[in-house]
Amino acid sequence: MMFSSSQFEAAVPLSQSTQSTDPFSNSSASKSRGTEGLVPVTVKQLSEAYQSGDEKSNFQMDGADVTNVTLVGMVVQMVVKATDVSFSLDDGTGKVECRRWTNDSSDSKEMDSVQDGMYVRVIGHLRSSHGRKQIVAFAVRQVLNFDEITFHFIDCIHQHLQKSRSKSDTPTQTKPVELSAASASSHSTSNVHLTALSNDFSGQHSTGGLKNCDQKVLEFLQQNFSIEKGLHRDEISRQLKIPVDKTMESVRALEEEGLIYSTIDEYHYKSTTES
Amino acid sequence: MTCTTYSYEIYRHFFLTDMDTSNPSVLVNADLLSRYVGRKVRTVIQVIRIDGTSVLGKSTDDRQLVVKGSPPSSLTTFVEVIGIADSQSSIAADSWTNFGDSFDTASHNKLCQLANGEYQHLFL
Repeated sequence: MMFSSSQFEAAVPLSQSTQSTDPFSNSSASKSRGTEGLVPVTVKQLSEAYQSGDEKSNFQMDGADVTNVTLVGMVVQMVVKATDVSFSLDDGTGKVECRRWTNDSSDSKEMDSVQDGMYVRVIGHLRSSHGRKQIVAFAVRQVLNFDEITFHFIDCIHQHLQKSRSKSDTPTQTKPVELSAASASSHSTSNVHLTALSNDFSGQHSTGGLKNCDQKVLEFLQQNFSIEKGLHRDEISRQLKIPVDKTMESVRALEEEGLIYSTIDEYHYKSTTES
Repeated sequence: MTCTTYSYEIYRHFFLTDMDTSNPSVLVNADLLSRYVGRKVRTVIQVIRIDGTSVLGKSTDDRQLVVKGSPPSSLTTFVEVIGIADSQSSIAADSWTNFGDSFDTASHNKLCQLANGEYQHLFL
């Protein structure tokens, strides 16, 4: 209901966190991977988030990926157009541009009640447009209980603390296991066919000519086969403690052999077969 | 004509490249207000008395604050004001928001302390 249509890419990252049946039981796993489903933030924090990679919606904050955020603040400079409502959200720490597409009548109805000077909670997708950070909102809701404002800022502090803490905890943990466990439930049936097809393929190739390092990378990607978008090369490098250039060498070799392929961008790779 | 378009693009590129955090309004209680005299602040008061254009209120840390400006005709028990800290006990407000008749002042007070202390970097 809240996420109605196709135009926001946000639907994709969101589904990552909702795919697992119980997001809370997996919270430690998702944390170790450095991504949170929905991150409460202040505008000040957003202003310091930096873009990792070339994508328009790939941001890092507190050393973790951040895609979907929630803010609480006052609506200012609202402009209503036929297809969207845009406004600045002022949370006292700064202002950020927000845009809510209004495709169907339920969207416009939601935005009808919003006006300048009103406190709202915004849930949306952080992206950059013409070099400026922007929130593509999928929900804008009026704040009726003003304790929500206090709560939101305390939530920001809490999340920040948790992330700073998990950063210092994680290096020793065995992430691959957690990772596969976390996303096992998200295993989609469409992969089955692919797996079967490429199985004999890997049978031909994996035994011959692979270097130790290549083998490690391949095994690691196979273990994490269930992650839809694959793994970032930095993640692979970090987990296996192999330098990035070495990792990329293996990645290229494996890609040539058809054992792995790049997914959402040239940095994410996924094995063609399950371990 | 082309020239102006260009310079706007350049201006936009260098100065509007990100969100505006240049004019924050600092979350304060009465105690913290003194640190920000002359700057933009926001605080929540419990309304005690309305005298025309100024409102006498109780801060979240139980002190008296005077808020000047043009308050809306009806104020709830708790009101958030945003404005310039006039002195260590008064604010010239340009924004008034009714926060209703029940508000957790203790939590908000604690938040003010955190937002100006250990976690200030998330706010300012």
